[in-house]
Amino acid sequence: MKLLVKLLLIILPISWLISCSNGDSSSVDEEKPTISINYSEGFPQACEEIQKGQSYTFKAMVTDNMELAAYSLNIHHNFDHHTHDDQGAQCELSPIKNAVNPMIFMENHSIENGGTSYEINLTVAIPNDIDIGDYHCAFSVTDATGWQSRTSIDIKIVD
Amino acid sequence: MLMAWLYIGLCLQASAQELHTINGVIIDAHTQSPIIGANIIGDNLFAVSSDRGEFSIENVPQGPKKFTITHIGYTSQQLTLEVNPNMGRVNIELVASVTNLDEVELYGKTEHRKAQELSTISVGVNKEFLEKNRENSLMQTLRKIPGVSTMTIGSGQSKPTIRGLGFNRVSVVQNGIKHEAQQWGNDHGLEIDQYGIDNIQIIKGPASLLYGSDAIAGVVDIQPPNIPLPNSFGGEVNLLGETNNDLLGVSAGIQTRKQNWFYRARLTYRDYGDYKVPTDRIRYESYIFELHENHLRNTAGREANASFSIGFAKDDIKSETFFSNVNAKNGFFANAHGLEVRTSTIDYDGSNRDVDLPFHKVNHFKVINNTTLYKGKHTLHLDLGYQNNQREEHSEPVPHGYMPTPPNSRERIFTKNTFSINAKDTFRPNAKHDVVFGMDAELQNNNIGGWGFLIPEYDRYSAGVFAYDHFKINENFHLQAGLRYDAGLVETKAYYDWFTSTINNPNGTTSYARLQRAQDKSLNFGNLSGSVGISYLSKNTTYKINLGKSFRMPLANELASDGVNYHMYRYERGNIDLDPEESYQVDLAIDHSNQWFTLGISPFVNLFDNFIYLNPTPNYYETLQIYEYTQSKVFRFGGEVKAGSNLTDALHLEASLEYVYARQTSGPKKDFTLPFSPPLSGLFSINYQFKGVLFFQQPLITIDFRATAAQNEIVPPEERTEGYQAFNLSAMTQLPLFGNGKPMQMRVKLNNVFNTEYYDHTSFYRLIDVPEPGRNLSVSATIPF
Repeated sequence: MKLLVKLLLIILPISWLISCSNGDSSSVDEEKPTISINYSEGFPQACEEIQKGQSYTFKAMVTDNMELAAYSLNIHHNFDHHTHDDQGAQCELSPIKNAVNPMIFMENHSIENGGTSYEINLTVAIPNDIDIGDYHCAFSVTDATGWQSRTSIDIKIVD
Repeated sequence: MLMAWLYIGLCLQASAQELHTINGVIIDAHTQSPIIGANIIGDNLFAVSSDRGEFSIENVPQGPKKFTITHIGYTSQQLTLEVNPNMGRVNIELVASVTNLDEVELYGKTEHRKAQELSTISVGVNKEFLEKNRENSLMQTLRKIPGVSTMTIGSGQSKPTIRGLGFNRVSVVQNGIKHEAQQWGNDHGLEIDQYGIDNIQIIKGPASLLYGSDAIAGVVDIQPPNIPLPNSFGGEVNLLGETNNDLLGVSAGIQTRKQNWFYRARLTYRDYGDYKVPTDRIRYESYIFELHENHLRNTAGREANASFSIGFAKDDIKSETFFSNVNAKNGFFANAHGLEVRTSTIDYDGSNRDVDLPFHKVNHFKVINNTTLYKGKHTLHLDLGYQNNQREEHSEPVPHGYMPTPPNSRERIFTKNTFSINAKDTFRPNAKHDVVFGMDAELQNNNIGGWGFLIPEYDRYSAGVFAYDHFKINENFHLQAGLRYDAGLVETKAYYDWFTSTINNPNGTTSYARLQRAQDKSLNFGNLSGSVGISYLSKNTTYKINLGKSFRMPLANELASDGVNYHMYRYERGNIDLDPEESYQVDLAIDHSNQWFTLGISPFVNLFDNFIYLNPTPNYYETLQIYEYTQSKVFRFGGEVKAGSNLTDALHLEASLEYVYARQTSGPKKDFTLPFSPPLSGLFSINYQFKGVLFFQQPLITIDFRATAAQNEIVPPEERTEGYQAFNLSAMTQLPLFGNGKPMQMRVKLNNVFNTEYYDHTSFYRLIDVPEPGRNLSVSATIPF
């Protein structure tokens, strides 16, 4: 009898532990949004050359399984070759140099009405008085849950 | 009183020739329970009693042999054994020493018995365990304890995790004083020398009652080393070599005592190269990093530690003052730091031993005094501590956003000074009660420098008072209850960027300003915590139940950070309205042992009212995702199961399982788990104790098999981690190298035997898809003198 009680004392908590561990996997959002420039209107493409003084429309497709929330576009110089893009292409970089008046572009926008698919469509005027050379263009997107995806592209600003 | 009985039983065990084996057991003369860790020292002969009080000394020549049996809690005994083929099992009874000055010994109780009587769930770790399981850093060494795991930062650094919670939710206490550094950092390891430690008490569960703020998930309490015996001199040299990261480590310690005064000193130096992973390329998102000869480039490091202590023990006073300094420099993987992908012109592959940018440098200096006074029914205990933590984080200067290229590599500099005082009085009005009154106070002063802002400068004052009673209802039935109140004040200092940012005003104009990242704020906190529990010890089984409430004061970065963490590609925003984190936990533990097997289970249920959590929001600040400190309710449960059995005298099997379930039950991440949740994991060990062969004494072979389930419970921005199985092998033996009694101890260990590529969900480098280290052969030796 005493042994039985002891056994029960040991087995009960274990079975409780095991039964609870098959916990309900509730319906939380576990998927990141996606971001891509790999379609015909996607801009810029890897190693793209863009001209000072011109305006360009930057485009990328973003999708999510539930609800998109916001996106951002960041253009910064890569004169020091501090990083590279994730498009798989090896762009030819100009020699390393110091920045004098580099272009800095940072904008974020929320995606009104969420939805599961959206095309980022942002017109950027490239100023005339900035340093030319290697730049880096980074898109990112979040969904309503707080998942984020990023992509970055090597570009060149030329005269 | 100073008596030891010795009698010879009937159990025959000896070989026919001149060499014999002495088998015996050491027990407490009063309680008849086994004494663990007693030293049996003879001329050229040495043994330590096991968990069951047993010892064995092999290859002893026939004839009378003198032995000295010592244990810190007992009066030393000298005896002569007549070694002959017919000698049987030797029973040695030691009498608890009441004149010894350690409070543990005052009652003549073993640490093991004391732990059984406490209702908190605790695990004692002794030097033998540390020697047997020695890994690269302290927390990696303790990983074999069910429920205790570690967050590793490369091969040389780690920080503690208890049942899935780490950072500032685990207190690390050394010599009575809480270790205070920059524990909140993902890539900051624990600055403690793992050599020269005799005893660690690990508390799994809420322990704010005795340890104050932060002891929510548990405590790693590194206790002061045992006081050397009068007129003694001793020491040891520890050597370690490893193949995976080409590590060379040496540590040497000495201790000596005349009559009342005693001294200790230790020096440790470790130097390691880049560690190797079982892959030649890392794929992180859509980036591919080729590795040179499997080396995770720039993860080399070095560590140089020194410590010294001076102590005095006489009649009713015991005092020891410790000075220690830990100095380390560690490199970080060159291709990606945090989540930030980097290219560089530094020639990282030229040498696998140099430490280039990015790297951390840390120096941790401590002075601690422990004083105990015994006055009749009172035991007064006083701990004083001063710590200085100097951390420098260096990386290649790169412009980010509106920040131009910084002038140097000094990204973040932290200088933190912490002053601590603990005082307590243990009052024993009668044999039934041990009443403890105590107070703690602490002052933290944190200063920052460098071009990267993450946390503000701050001063933090905190103080607590507590009282608790250990009520011995009868010899085997104990009740403990206590209450504590803490008050705290955090004063954060304003911080402005050192560069100007462009601000697009709502009215269409543009202005330029140095942005304010932190404000001058003063915040008060007060908190009541407590604990109540019972323990019941029957002949073979111990039952415990404990209910505790613990708390944690919000950190300055949780309250007031407002800046870009470029390594993590995120904008971190504090919340000045955070409340102290409060946690309620029920713990249960049942431990059973008999002559065939041992079995222990320790489940827990835990509720947080307001868990502080860095929540990734959907919003952006200057194109970086905003992460905000928020509070949510959290429900957790889990526990550990462990079992062991001696199949034969030589073959010992052990198995353990650990599991934690966590859910946020409110807030923006409702129904998600917590970050860094450890997956279900089991460890199976086979130990085989050989008879002595040639000059190898007590050779022991251990096979460890760890099986870990996949972790599919994640929260943004984590990735799922697949399960894995890994094998470790080790062989240990003692070698009678020098003729002074204590043999040298040697260990050969092979980690990740099959060079398996697997990922640890709680590793710092998991974020960028770096697998755990590959196969590693390590050779270590401890040479006592």
